Amino acid sequence: MATLLDVRGLEKTFRLHILHGKMIPALSGISFTMEEGEILGLAGRSGSGKSTLMKCLYRTYLPTAGSILFHSRQTGTAIDPAQADEHAVIRLRRFEMTYCAQFLQVIPRVPALDIVAEPMIRRGAVREEALGRAQEAFERMSLPRELWDAYPATFSGGEQQRVNIARAIMARPRFLLLDEPTASLDRNTKDAVIDMILELKQEGTSMMLITHDAHTMSRLACRTLHLSEGRIAEPAYA
Amino acid sequence: MTPPDNSNGWLLRVRGLTRIYGEPDERSVARTGPRAATNICPETGAIVACADIGFDLYPGEVLGVVGESGSGKSTLVQLLYFDQGASAGEVYFKPIEEGAKNLLALTSQRKRYVRNHLFGMVYQNPRDGLNFSFSAGGNIAEKLIMAGQFHVGKMRDRARGLLSQTEAPAQRMDSTPRTFSGGMQQRVQISKAIANHPPLLFLDEVTSGLDVSVQAKVLDMIRHIQTELGISMIVVSHDLGVIRMLTDRTIVLKHGRIVEAGLTDQILQDPQHAYTQLLVSSLL
Repeated sequence: MATLLDVRGLEKTFRLHILHGKMIPALSGISFTMEEGEILGLAGRSGSGKSTLMKCLYRTYLPTAGSILFHSRQTGTAIDPAQADEHAVIRLRRFEMTYCAQFLQVIPRVPALDIVAEPMIRRGAVREEALGRAQEAFERMSLPRELWDAYPATFSGGEQQRVNIARAIMARPRFLLLDEPTASLDRNTKDAVIDMILELKQEGTSMMLITHDAHTMSRLACRTLHLSEGRIAEPAYA
Repeated sequence: MTPPDNSNGWLLRVRGLTRIYGEPDERSVARTGPRAATNICPETGAIVACADIGFDLYPGEVLGVVGESGSGKSTLVQLLYFDQGASAGEVYFKPIEEGAKNLLALTSQRKRYVRNHLFGMVYQNPRDGLNFSFSAGGNIAEKLIMAGQFHVGKMRDRARGLLSQTEAPAQRMDSTPRTFSGGMQQRVQISKAIANHPPLLFLDEVTSGLDVSVQAKVLDMIRHIQTELGISMIVVSHDLGVIRMLTDRTIVLKHGRIVEAGLTDQILQDPQHAYTQLLVSSLL
């Protein structure tokens, strides 16, 4: 199997100028590789650095040291999202890498269906087809039909989460970063989401998964990385 | 719709853009800026509104410009739109001689051509962008005429199409924008700015002073324009919420200098510069 991601000596320290330069160490000595097509679970207590690591890979956070090499299919080269030109990172995000945050970033006055259809349209799908696929996703996740054309700002936590995860899955990215995708869902809905994620894996999508839910982790992750105080605690293989 | 093609490089390239009011000499740039914590030169009294601003804007990209009042945000877009002259710097734009010609060195006639045909501008105050003695439709026609279109029927069709997106009732097309609400005026101003599909649109604090529901409608309209027409935009705002919603990349200005530049989510979630950290931590 081909290597998708190669992380070496990654380190992240936040420097807070407004608190007189206070330094907050978040990650250090993080090294691992990911193979194409696998789902890598990130486990560890709250504050152990899981989301920080994910955000460094997506360039939402700028790492302090170390290297990340993502093997881009589009350019045929290895790109370090932390160092590459901003435009190259935007391209990477648009075509290959999708980040699904813990909470839906609500855009005012955009209906749920359009939120899910938007990344598909950006990647070249026709609007009607994208909306149709968004409807199928909502159907499977049992999102009440009367919410489909409503604005998610007033949705419950679980409803927003389904919109968020549907948007990420339906974009069918090559590499998907999932931060707590099932946290506010009941058992049946959770299983529906897990099935959809597994189908995406069947299609070849590689994923990194943060979850505190043992059921979700055991059904999805091929192997797990345990983080503790910003370091990899043990290279445990599931 | 195809995604904007970034592979051919930049659309707009800005280098060393500087605007000084008063005696422009070396001291005024050296003695001002974020380190000096002022943009007024202590020796000459010159005001350095912008100094050494540089960035590339790619096709279809939306660039945010943030900073507090007096940081040089509006000056920057006014220089690019030729509303005022620069003291120094270079601006290259792909549609003009394949990006080989410095726009700041064009004759005033060619600058007018670039403004009318290739740029769109939306000001904070609708009175700056709209002519209140014309009707809403007439304002759009004015922009089309300046861009060399003279067919009255086509102009009316275009105006009607654009205004229908602003939720303005069709029968108000012949009323002056003076009789419109603030949010409506702003959407008419946007319609006018994009009437001839310019590849680059400047938006200067366009939602400041509007109440939130109206602000959402204006932002919605801008987002539609961006996704459907793929117009590149430079969005000036002191409102980080607006920046987060609209932009891909952001530059942060303080005392007329860029203190930080990056992807918008990185600027908002992992700001590096002390000033940006202060700005982000002040967010409601």
